[in-house]
Amino acid sequence: MKPIIELRHITKRFPGIVANDDVSLTIQKGEIFALLGENGAGKSTLMSILFGMYEPDEGEIFIRGEKVRITSPSHATKLNIGMVHQHFKLVENFTVTENIVLGMEPQKRIAGIFPTVDIKGTNQKIAELSKRYGLEVEPTAKIEDLSVSIQQRVEILKMLYREAEIMIFDEPTAMLTPQEIESLLQVIRNLRDAGKTIILITHKLEEIKQVADRCAVLCRGKLVSECDVATTSTHDMAYMMVGREVSEEMEKEPVSPGEEVLRIENLTVKNSAGFPVVKDVSFSIHEGEIFAVAGVSGNGQEELADAIAGMVKAAGGKIYLAGQDITQMPIRKRNESGVAYIPADRHATGMVMDFTLSENLLLKNYYKPPYCVHGWLKRDRFDKKSSELIEKYDIRCGQGCDTIVRSMSGGNQQKAIIAREIDQNAKVILFVQPTRGLDIGAIENIHRQILEQRSKGKAILLISLELEEVMKLADTIGVIYSGELLKTAPAESLTVNQVGNYMMGVTT
Amino acid sequence: MKKKSNHLKAALLAVMGDEKRQNITVPLLEVLFGLLAGAVIFLILGKNPLQAFNAFLQGCGISAKANYAGGKGMFTDFMGYLDNWTPMLFAALSVAVAFKAGLFNIGVSGQMLMAGFTAMVTVGYSPLPAIVAKPLVIIIGIVVGALVGALIGYLKYRFNINEVVSSIMLNYIFQYVLSFFIFTFFINPLTRQSQAISDASRLTLQNVMIAGYKTVIPLGFVLAVIAVAVMHYLIHHTKFGYELKAVGLNPKASKYAGINVRRNILFAMMLSGALAGLAGVTYYLGYLGSIQPRVLSTVGFDSIAISLLGNSNPIGIVFASFLITVITKGSTYMSSSIGVDQQIGSVITGLMLLFAACGAYVRHRLRISRMELEEQKKEEKKEGNEKKEGQS
Repeated sequence: MKPIIELRHITKRFPGIVANDDVSLTIQKGEIFALLGENGAGKSTLMSILFGMYEPDEGEIFIRGEKVRITSPSHATKLNIGMVHQHFKLVENFTVTENIVLGMEPQKRIAGIFPTVDIKGTNQKIAELSKRYGLEVEPTAKIEDLSVSIQQRVEILKMLYREAEIMIFDEPTAMLTPQEIESLLQVIRNLRDAGKTIILITHKLEEIKQVADRCAVLCRGKLVSECDVATTSTHDMAYMMVGREVSEEMEKEPVSPGEEVLRIENLTVKNSAGFPVVKDVSFSIHEGEIFAVAGVSGNGQEELADAIAGMVKAAGGKIYLAGQDITQMPIRKRNESGVAYIPADRHATGMVMDFTLSENLLLKNYYKPPYCVHGWLKRDRFDKKSSELIEKYDIRCGQGCDTIVRSMSGGNQQKAIIAREIDQNAKVILFVQPTRGLDIGAIENIHRQILEQRSKGKAILLISLELEEVMKLADTIGVIYSGELLKTAPAESLTVNQVGNYMMGVTT
Repeated sequence: MKKKSNHLKAALLAVMGDEKRQNITVPLLEVLFGLLAGAVIFLILGKNPLQAFNAFLQGCGISAKANYAGGKGMFTDFMGYLDNWTPMLFAALSVAVAFKAGLFNIGVSGQMLMAGFTAMVTVGYSPLPAIVAKPLVIIIGIVVGALVGALIGYLKYRFNINEVVSSIMLNYIFQYVLSFFIFTFFINPLTRQSQAISDASRLTLQNVMIAGYKTVIPLGFVLAVIAVAVMHYLIHHTKFGYELKAVGLNPKASKYAGINVRRNILFAMMLSGALAGLAGVTYYLGYLGSIQPRVLSTVGFDSIAISLLGNSNPIGIVFASFLITVITKGSTYMSSSIGVDQQIGSVITGLMLLFAACGAYVRHRLRISRMELEEQKKEEKKEGNEKKEGQS
């Protein structure tokens, strides 16, 4: 039987890097094929080529044995290829059906003359599709009312509606809870059993082990190996992915917590619509303690961190830093009093993307001597300080201090933010999803930094959606659900399943 | 064939230089294309483009005319050109400062008018001696401009009203309200302009005799040159400039860094307004000496083009405004000497702007070609090495 997809010697260059270097792959019909690799390994580029978003510089693509040149996503759709992007492409205030038919609206003529979009008939069709694959999506619901995992199902339905035979999933589990991941993997299995071919882009080894039949490992644009998942251990896969040994376990040296640094009392935060998103939260963090907040995305975590950092005003309650009330303090004063903050969105909040690396590394110190004297910036001192940080934190950048941050990889941008914040020598450091979207090597590095700060006696608030990360690093775990801190307990007294249950709002 | 195009690419890259040099070469290229396109238009109209461009320069005293009237010369024309250039420089700086802070000050013309009008009625018609009147005019220009800017900034600061909307609205308000006052109180029925201001308050000295030439001396030009230097240092070398740019590029990250975003927006708008005010007094109380009611000066709109062409960089703006002023100012003489409509000047400006808008794309293409060439060189080197090894 001919393979459904065959990629031959695909090479794609972007300015400065070779994203795919002579990659050849064959994928059979009806299998779940995983594409594994670190960030920047070229997985997404390769799949974007298959989906028609880029054209390869060299190489050929064969679909069902025929040589094709895929020129656009709509061309890919015609070839029965579908893709669920990491960031969903949905219109928020449209219904599920409206989103699904967008771009290929079924027409009906009223009285044989006036063309209209046949939404009613399509609702029916989508309800059927949804039922057949066990997706349970309400066709008339509006996207903005749906949770992330349901939105993802809408994307899947979109592919099914377009009669996709080949389905590409780009990091589908990044935003989901353990329970949601479980059901997504089941959906993927159902799709395979219905004869679809699935390509799964991920860097989570666990998931591959659970669902994938075969797997290809990319490393720095090159295909490192293609293997059967059943006969390869996760350890070997991790080794191939980063090209070196990864220590799964990390030694956490015992630190006896010191004095209380941050105390939150009955904190309430409202969103811009006046709706409370953090409700009556109280906890405290001591020197050398990692307080990890576990929870499903969108349960008030980011607002909690924003309130502590001063980005949003507290609607009620008090925040104390080393005994001092900082509830009403402006952001700059808080920074100076010892609050360091690694925000969740490094592009939107953590950096000025069009500034140089050195300007970004000094984003919180630019106005202080010796970097600024009487209102004049001392560029040479900016560069000297930045060079130190670049060296110390191993930030990879093309043109040193003058590199425009936008041109750097996500991992190195994050390294730069962490370098800047740790260098503040603050009393409390807020890490919000510090490893989101990063590869194993970078994650390991960041975890090490967090533990190092703990050893130095910093109070650390870690907010993470990755349960694994929480369990690995936390001294104390607080589980947030719907804005409330449901449970606060020492990490060793809780199991993964217990935390998972609290995350879903189950308290018994 | 492929090789040949590579040589071409290499040559192009060598000319355009690295990314730093491209800051200069790319705008030059844009201007060149604008002029070439302009030349085509002159050809279509049946005129000699070289002659036409020379006429622009002649009108500005940069190229010599065939003959001059008594007491006039190239020098006279050039000083007149500087007189015209001065408000253009201020106005372009005003737009650029706002741009840097992520704001679009489209109301420069209105701010100019308000500042010019205020200075005219307070100082222009007063009997104050020159030594008091001239500095006072400048101060009033700065203060009134800054106040109008502050109003726009405050509307954004307090109510989040888009500055484009509020400044355009203010343009209309100033244009018609001030026209009412001019028509009612200050009109000169013969010229249909406001009464001419006193010589003491005028920022451009009139009818000065220098080396046998009767000429004007635009005092504001000195101020404009100083303003360019000040703005350059302010934007690139001060804390204020750093905050301004940070707020312009990413307000959320600026807030995160502890910068007071809204206060910076207010300050940026004030500074932009102050510069517009300077443009206003050097235009109405320098270049013109009176105000024509119901007409909004085009300087404020040309300055947007200049700021774009000059990359919102004060030094870039000097060159861009020099060029655009040559076209706007020189178009009068060009029109009379070769008989082409004056409006062709605006067409050429527009063409340059069109090419300026392509600048980012040109840079992008250049970067890609460079990468490709480097890659090829590497490969060739590799092959060369292999050959050598094979031989030995």
